[in-house]
Amino acid sequence: MNAVDATEHYETSAHDPAPSLLTVILDTNPHAWALLEQTSRSPLPFSTALANILVFLNAHLACNYANEVAVVASHSHKAAWLYPTASPSARPDPDGDVSMTADGSINGQKDAGRQVNKYRPFRIVEEQVTSNVRQLMDLTSRTDMDNNSSTMMAGALTLALSHINRRTIAWADAHGGGDTSSVSRSGGPDTSTTSLLTRRSTTTAANDGTAEGLQSRILIISVSSATGSAHQYIPLMNGIFACQRLRIPIDVCKLSGDAVFLQQASDATKGIYMSLSEPRGLLQYLMMAFLPDQRSRKHLVLPTRVDVDFRAACFCHRRVVDVGFVCSICLSIFCEPPENGDCLTCGTHLDMGDYGAKPALVARKKKKKKVRANGTGASATPTPTPTPGP
Amino acid sequence: MADSDEEYIGGISEDEDDSNILQGSRGAAGPASKRRKQKGGAEFELSRTWETLVEGADGTISSTVEGLLEASKRKRLLKDTTPLQRGIIRHVVLVLDLSQSMTEKDLRPTRYLLTLRYAQEFVREFFEQNPISQIGVLGLRDGLALRVSDMSGNPTEHISAIQDLRSQDPKGLPSLQNGLEMARGALFHTPSHGTREILIIFGSLLSSDPGDIHQTITTLTDDKIRVGIVGLAAQVAICRELCAKTNGGDDTSYGVALNEQHFRELVMDVTTPPASYSQKQSTSSLLMMGFPSRTIEPFPSLCACHSNPTSGGYLCSRCNSKVCGLPAECPSCGLTLILSTHLARSYHHLFPLMNWVEVPWQRASRSTACFACGIPFPPVTLREQRQATETLTKGMSVSSRYECTVCKNHFCIDCDLFAHEVVHNCPGCQSRAATQSGDDVYRHQNEIDRMDTSR
Repeated sequence: MNAVDATEHYETSAHDPAPSLLTVILDTNPHAWALLEQTSRSPLPFSTALANILVFLNAHLACNYANEVAVVASHSHKAAWLYPTASPSARPDPDGDVSMTADGSINGQKDAGRQVNKYRPFRIVEEQVTSNVRQLMDLTSRTDMDNNSSTMMAGALTLALSHINRRTIAWADAHGGGDTSSVSRSGGPDTSTTSLLTRRSTTTAANDGTAEGLQSRILIISVSSATGSAHQYIPLMNGIFACQRLRIPIDVCKLSGDAVFLQQASDATKGIYMSLSEPRGLLQYLMMAFLPDQRSRKHLVLPTRVDVDFRAACFCHRRVVDVGFVCSICLSIFCEPPENGDCLTCGTHLDMGDYGAKPALVARKKKKKKVRANGTGASATPTPTPTPGP
Repeated sequence: MADSDEEYIGGISEDEDDSNILQGSRGAAGPASKRRKQKGGAEFELSRTWETLVEGADGTISSTVEGLLEASKRKRLLKDTTPLQRGIIRHVVLVLDLSQSMTEKDLRPTRYLLTLRYAQEFVREFFEQNPISQIGVLGLRDGLALRVSDMSGNPTEHISAIQDLRSQDPKGLPSLQNGLEMARGALFHTPSHGTREILIIFGSLLSSDPGDIHQTITTLTDDKIRVGIVGLAAQVAICRELCAKTNGGDDTSYGVALNEQHFRELVMDVTTPPASYSQKQSTSSLLMMGFPSRTIEPFPSLCACHSNPTSGGYLCSRCNSKVCGLPAECPSCGLTLILSTHLARSYHHLFPLMNWVEVPWQRASRSTACFACGIPFPPVTLREQRQATETLTKGMSVSSRYECTVCKNHFCIDCDLFAHEVVHNCPGCQSRAATQSGDDVYRHQNEIDRMDTSR
């Protein structure tokens, strides 16, 4: 009965299409961008790419007045928010998440004359993203980059998911979340854990169901190389399964190289994977392939990838393997049989089976010889004759 | 006090009995009437939940309720740590009764809705416990078996398919034989190294079959398919026979639900892998597995497993022969081929996210907003106000901040729940906003990796 009530409630308010939240994860690893600029035939400087992405964000905002965007930077040594940053009054944390201090006042003064006629959401997104990117780059020291050429994709994905979760809860509360949820919301710090749990389950149920909620999707703009994310295999996979459970498609726009785990991400969540052959046409790719939201995608033929690399990263050396050894208890993957046959993860002693048993061929030859010896030895055939004797 | 309570309850239960015998009806006394059916009413048990509540010193029951909540949470945590063998590949067809009898309201809200809800929970739990297994869902309605979702390893597909059933109404009579035959067809192609199981949730007391169901039972035993049935109404002889014959004479896989809780337990029991499947499988061993990549070809070619012409498929990573579906055993070299994403589904059990700790007001000034979602925290209050809020319930953070013990970032309660129940990642640790030099960062990262594997 409750479900019936809820759907009725949604239907009355769902005359205008539900807004969608687009979260862009931008790989800002300086190594990869430098490599892209130097080696490829058609160089795409980071500034141009950022300008293109901003146009794309504006296009998404323009689709529906209630649409939202969020931008996360997956940098070489940290993941940081680029767009919905906290208010300027927020002080920087001692533990270094400095990106929260969006200093809007400087930009405000500088651009005030130029951008008065700009649609305000466009302007806010543009100012915050550019100033935060600049800040991020300024704070990147040489030593940060020397040793770390990977990108914090798993962290950025987790941040993006947390934000999506927050927005989904907020949206459900604002649009027919029901009486119980609003009560538990207003309780503040003294809400009991149970009410939060139930609310959590109801929001996920609303998200799982066909009811129109906030439609979220994630777009990853990736430039880093394939094996860079091998050491983040498990967190990345956790993020991917969270997306799968929440029905959030992960779209991947790959500017250079190929990323094994991002292919799996888009395949598992039914997103779009595109490896751009001509990075200079980034804006066109973005507008044509990645702009439609989930509802319009039902009616489109999507440029999705058909051959997917399903290799996994081993737990012992973080290698990307296509044949591995798997512990039957905990399903950990190893690239070679562990020493002593003890699983490195769960400690179970594992029966090694016949892996690494090289003398398989030799043993067979011996067996054959034995068979022959038995056959030719004529010791077996005479045995029947003595038996009748006694 | 206690004595009088006892008498009072005793009186009530006697009354219930009388009314049941007199009326013999379902409805409000649903569990009681079913209890009568189960083994002739010999097992007689009432759970008096109100008796477990004990008043605290202040005259409220809040402390007991809290204890119960904590106990249930701890139970859940403990359940996760049991060393289950997740390497077993199971193939299960879930058959749901969608016939007229499911409209009965003896299970709240109705048998039908409750079955659908538990079926969704079953699918989710099943894939947590058996990450490389596969499920298919069938329905029995109008004397026909209808396909709800195909055999696959993706839980979301099944859950949405079951969810879609909510809008339809149960009607007609069920046919066990049709359902079993269709399930047998779905399990026909499954590789021999996995299990083949059928789980039927059966609310009716009859089966209108087109032919002889005993023949179907013999073919099922020939195909080594095990059948488990959860009955919702009463014991049915053919169900017991079916379970006994397909499980080698053991009919414990047939259970009749006494109430909602029992129903759930019966269904969830099936998610644990069968104990004595085979001696070789049950010893822990290192399995060699291949993670093939999906390819697509312009012209169809024959797959090695069924010799069907297909244009897409998976190439064995050792011998390059093509199989059309995963998980499978390579027909030419015998390597077990699986999707690595299926394995990865259970990894959050291996490396669980540590619980976050509550932050007292003394340390709360370090943060003003949640690290992950940016929602502002309540500002640090003065000492007098703190005293007032210190007496809040245990387990909740007074400053509504929760701290990850590894990365020392503060998070809100929503992100705490989300991180521990859905993502299983710490947003702070994964996006380590480290300010040390690069060398330190690298060592730090190695440390975290090592910590991960040690647990």
